[in-house]
Amino acid sequence: MKRHLNFLFAAIGNIIRNKVRSLILILCLIAVLFPFISAISISEGIKYQSLISIEEGADIYVTSDHYGSNAPISLQYLSRFQEMDGVVKVFPRVVGRTYFVNRLAAIVGIPSGNIPQSIRLKGGVIFREKGEVVIGKGLAKEFELQIGVRFTLSANPSKLFRITGIFDADASIWSANLVLMDFEDASEFFRLEGKATDILIYTRPGYAPVLAREIQEKISPSNRHSSEPPLRVQDKSLVKKYFLRGFNYKAGVFTALYTVAFALAIPALLVISGFGQTERKKEIGVLKATGWQTQEVMEMVVLENLAISLTSAPLAILMAMAWLKLFNGAFIAQFFIAEIGLMAPFPVPSRFLPLPCLFAFLFAMVLTMVGSLYSIWKTATIPPVEAMR
Amino acid sequence: MDLIIRTEKLDKFYYLGRPEEVRALNQIDLEIYKNRIILIRGPSGSGKTTLLNLISTMDRPTRGQIFLFGEDISKYSDVELSRIRQKRVGFIFQNFNLLPRLSAWENVAFPLLPLGILENERRRRAVEMLIQLKLEKRVNHPPEQMSGGEQQRVAIARALINDPEIIMADEPTSNIDAESVKILLDIFTDLKRKGKTIIISSHDPIFLDFSETVFFLKDGNLLDVKQGEKL
Repeated sequence: MKRHLNFLFAAIGNIIRNKVRSLILILCLIAVLFPFISAISISEGIKYQSLISIEEGADIYVTSDHYGSNAPISLQYLSRFQEMDGVVKVFPRVVGRTYFVNRLAAIVGIPSGNIPQSIRLKGGVIFREKGEVVIGKGLAKEFELQIGVRFTLSANPSKLFRITGIFDADASIWSANLVLMDFEDASEFFRLEGKATDILIYTRPGYAPVLAREIQEKISPSNRHSSEPPLRVQDKSLVKKYFLRGFNYKAGVFTALYTVAFALAIPALLVISGFGQTERKKEIGVLKATGWQTQEVMEMVVLENLAISLTSAPLAILMAMAWLKLFNGAFIAQFFIAEIGLMAPFPVPSRFLPLPCLFAFLFAMVLTMVGSLYSIWKTATIPPVEAMR
Repeated sequence: MDLIIRTEKLDKFYYLGRPEEVRALNQIDLEIYKNRIILIRGPSGSGKTTLLNLISTMDRPTRGQIFLFGEDISKYSDVELSRIRQKRVGFIFQNFNLLPRLSAWENVAFPLLPLGILENERRRRAVEMLIQLKLEKRVNHPPEQMSGGEQQRVAIARALINDPEIIMADEPTSNIDAESVKILLDIFTDLKRKGKTIIISSHDPIFLDFSETVFFLKDGNLLDVKQGEKL
């Protein structure tokens, strides 16, 4: 035990004595690790908020199925769904996108009595009259919009809207560019008379899978000669599955890019960790000449790498936290959130979980080990006189 | 008299089998007895340092055998050779090979690290050794703040810290002043008195009268052996 303590203190001493080399190595590790930690925490934050939204949302979503794609569904189905056993609440929804000045905004139209609890008004009132809307905090902030302001949207400039309230949401990502209005207004705006983009069904606990199957089998037009398209029924678990699949794709793109960067970082770190290699080689030769075993030299180097990694990983985590707090995850958030530009106009969600932080430490270990262990072992196994030459 | 080192047909070639092959040592047979001062003498490039490196386990021979304390070490593993260097052989390098970022006492004490001796005790032993070598004022100084002679005494202290039976010194007078040479000879005399065996590789004639056995090397060949009883 005393031997290992000696090696540990010697390793820490070496790090302190070789200040420049250690500092450069730590900075390089931070540069490699902090984008990774930032990205993972943004990814986890978005995933967390999205899953909460899905959990709070409807149990079943029904749309029409046009050649495999979602299409507006006739409002005639509303009454049929309401009559089903186990259904608690049914309402139609219109979801669409259009430009608000130069920013792509999401338009959601729902009956005013069905606004989700996670939507909290920061000012004003909820829409009551025709043409009234409430807008997300992010959008209001970006365009300095006040209550009472009137505006039109590019998809249907003939329709005039008035802001009656500004809201915030538990999921910051949704409040960013959302314009929430009455279902009738949205239906008129997108010229969907008699239709909704989807119908939301809330059921009693445990009923959703049965009802989803029943809608698909009994209500959905199955006759291929029918003028009505078949229905596409998605329950909460399916929505969750689709979301995760799409999300994992985005995370996958980032991971692929990160892997390339990581692969490039390895040779860079090899060069950096070789910084002062001649001196290191000589030092190992002297250690061996005075009776150190190869495994003892290796143990000290491993402990050095461990100490470097233990320093770099928390610093990288702190830097990622600062980056998210001060720069709102600039350059990284755009991989996960569509069309937000360099700086997101809303607080980018993030979540720091222990496992990615542990991975960051392991990455740091792998990088430092790859950069040093082989060359050190090679030096330690040649005769000391050659190492010192 | 105890025989502690014996070599048999010892060869050391560099760039073996290549056009630029160098025969640094050729068929060297020698015997070294305990508690004697040995000088390996010869002109520059004669193979003195190579021979010293081989018998101190700092390098491996191309062919031949080395018997250290009666055991053939030419086939010893890296672990076994390190153990010999740790406990039985102390080496003083021509250019001292001190670690530049360590203080004098740290340089002396680092061979004790793998033995599990904690810092306070390491420091105590190292300082004691440095005081014996009249370096009490240089305990916390790094090598760059010391003269050549002082650096050499730090290197001697490091070689002696594990109380080895054999001390080997490569060209020990080449980088030090006359005053330091006198101190060095006193140290060697004292070590001899303590029962140690001292092997010096040097072309400095000062060691001729000082040594009991002299091996003459030229072009990697052992030309002559002279025995004396000066001390």
